[in-house]
Amino acid sequence: MKVLVAVKRVIDYNVKVRVKPDNSDVDLNNVKMAMNPFCEIAVEEAVRLKEKGVATEIVVVSIGPKVAQEQIRTSLALGADRGILIETDEKLESLTVAKLLKAVVEKEQPQLVVLGKQSIDSDNNQTGQMLGALTGLPQGTFASEVVVDGDKVNVTREVDAGLRTVGLSLPAIVTTDLRLNEPRYASLPNIMKAKRKPLEVVSPADLGVEIKSTQTVVKVTPPAERSAGIKVADVAELVEKLKNEAKVL
Amino acid sequence: MTQSQTSLSQTELENQLKAIVGDDKVKTDPDSLETFGKDWTKIYPPNPSAIVFPKTTEQVQAIVKFANEHRVALVPSGGRTGLSAGAVAANGEVVVAFDYMNSISGFNAMDKTVRCGAGVITEQLQNYAEEQGLFYPVDFASAGSSQIGGNIGTNAGGIKVIRYGMTRDWVAGLTVVTGKGDILELNKDLVKNNTGYDMRQLFIGGEGTLGFVTEATMRLTRPAKNLTVLVLGVPEFEAIMSVLNTFQTNIDLTAFEFFSDKAMRKVVARGDVPAPFETEAEYYALLEFEAETEGHIDQAMELFEKCMEEGWVLDGVMSQSETQAQNLWRLREDISETIAEWTPYKNDISVVVSKVPPFLNEIEEIVTREYPNFEIIWFGHIGDGNLHLNILKPDDLAKEIFFEQCAKVSTWVFEIVEKYKGSVSAEHGVGMTKKPYLEYTRSAAEIGYMRAVKAVFDPNNIMNPGKLIDME
Repeated sequence: MKVLVAVKRVIDYNVKVRVKPDNSDVDLNNVKMAMNPFCEIAVEEAVRLKEKGVATEIVVVSIGPKVAQEQIRTSLALGADRGILIETDEKLESLTVAKLLKAVVEKEQPQLVVLGKQSIDSDNNQTGQMLGALTGLPQGTFASEVVVDGDKVNVTREVDAGLRTVGLSLPAIVTTDLRLNEPRYASLPNIMKAKRKPLEVVSPADLGVEIKSTQTVVKVTPPAERSAGIKVADVAELVEKLKNEAKVL
Repeated sequence: MTQSQTSLSQTELENQLKAIVGDDKVKTDPDSLETFGKDWTKIYPPNPSAIVFPKTTEQVQAIVKFANEHRVALVPSGGRTGLSAGAVAANGEVVVAFDYMNSISGFNAMDKTVRCGAGVITEQLQNYAEEQGLFYPVDFASAGSSQIGGNIGTNAGGIKVIRYGMTRDWVAGLTVVTGKGDILELNKDLVKNNTGYDMRQLFIGGEGTLGFVTEATMRLTRPAKNLTVLVLGVPEFEAIMSVLNTFQTNIDLTAFEFFSDKAMRKVVARGDVPAPFETEAEYYALLEFEAETEGHIDQAMELFEKCMEEGWVLDGVMSQSETQAQNLWRLREDISETIAEWTPYKNDISVVVSKVPPFLNEIEEIVTREYPNFEIIWFGHIGDGNLHLNILKPDDLAKEIFFEQCAKVSTWVFEIVEKYKGSVSAEHGVGMTKKPYLEYTRSAAEIGYMRAVKAVFDPNNIMNPGKLIDME
């Protein structure tokens, strides 16, 4: 079974995000970039499927600038077999990403597509769903467990009320939630082996997709700073403030 | 004098202190006395007579003058994270707490310096530096509580010493109040200043025995770029040294730490962070370096390959994100906290790097021979020759007996330290806990000069008496 995993290069989870002085965007200058944490989980899940003998080949795809190769190499070190970079410096919206992925799905014909449920930079949580709509494939989003059973995959989803398990016929799309697995580290011997694994670079045009922007960023502002706390003299004052100022009582 | 010999009554003492700093800046309630009278050692029961919170250098000066006049012993107090009882007030001393001298000012972008009150918390300075696009590199587990004044008094080291040195290397200038009550401006923040004795250096690591640091000008540097962490599994201790040598001759490492498999298993068992890999190894080395370009990574990979070929390394991982780097660091940094539940006996010792393997073996041999039921946990900043020896208390052994036996271990360990010309306290200072062992590292003549120096700055022996050296 072939598994396609999509990974995104994003600002590192641990970096304190700064906004550009002109409020046009987030400042990415000299900022540490890394693989989106949900994508790490997607790669890990694919690798585990391969270790179980369920998956036979893992293809990892990323869309972005040339340096996004780093995240593909990391995926290859973790156990993916080959990589595809759709190279573009354009700003990408979810729909464009879904269209590009659809083209890759058509070309590669995977049985399973695994994506992170969202990326931590734009937090849209829509690419997987859009890809489902565009390809007509069944989707299991917010997965906390993935079990392949013959020509079906059972996906346990984290929903508001608890867990819901859906049975999807393959090929299918799965988006990963945090509790699906704990990703491993890339071992140094595997990082070295990954250098020899194939990495194909294509352009959006090669895939017949035109990058169009339908959104305009009006303004990017940091969240309001928390104001300093105060000390209250006694319980009565605390209750008074909770009632009249915080209005929580 | 190891305790206050003042003839002042408690009320007179409090009133005079209040006259200097204001009524609300003197505390004598039991909670405050307990809190401000001790550090992390918890061996000596705290028993200060008052806690005073000055806000300016002039107030510190007034307190010192008052203390001289009435023979009141003073103990400086910062973040109280010390491990050698250097800031413990167990004998009725007045504690001078610097918590309110916590302002950062006078940032100079050209000189890359910043002025800190003694009470500035290390992390506060680190964050301030980051806001200016710079970096304060002295870092250790207690950075969220420890204060700059205490860092200077103990010449704090930590996890980046191999690249950035100790606190000493980042102090451009100091304002101190000497034991005689003089205010001195030391070094005036100069880079080059060959005008005789650099007295600044005496106050750094002086543990407040000559005077109190009230303000300091600290140097900042450019931030490290893309710090990348490797954790390598190593089959035997000697191989760690070969790995260190291989990497250090080719790469500027920002850290080189080691820990034993026993230490790591205990951290991993807590369930917060995963083991780096499945391959079993007796020891682990943690390396950190700046991967500014792809070339740096490639170089590290080549060195790793070489270490694999030589059989020095069994397996290894490299961080692919900041989160992974932090989690790998936790394998090392969480050890202290993790083993705390075994009431460990601890030592912080150092020798020159090349002597580390025989030194460690000799200590391990003697402890294992005498107390075969003791579990020894090693970790430390091996790139600096600094080892943290920890012995865990066997469950069936009473605490008192364990510490009695450990006192014997101390003597053996320090005899080995002396033999290897090492230090009985690499980065934790001397305070009270290491004072009895100072002679294993410092000669009688040296200690004599130390006493003489103290007598010059603090003729009445009121500044942190009973710490570092005894005057009698």
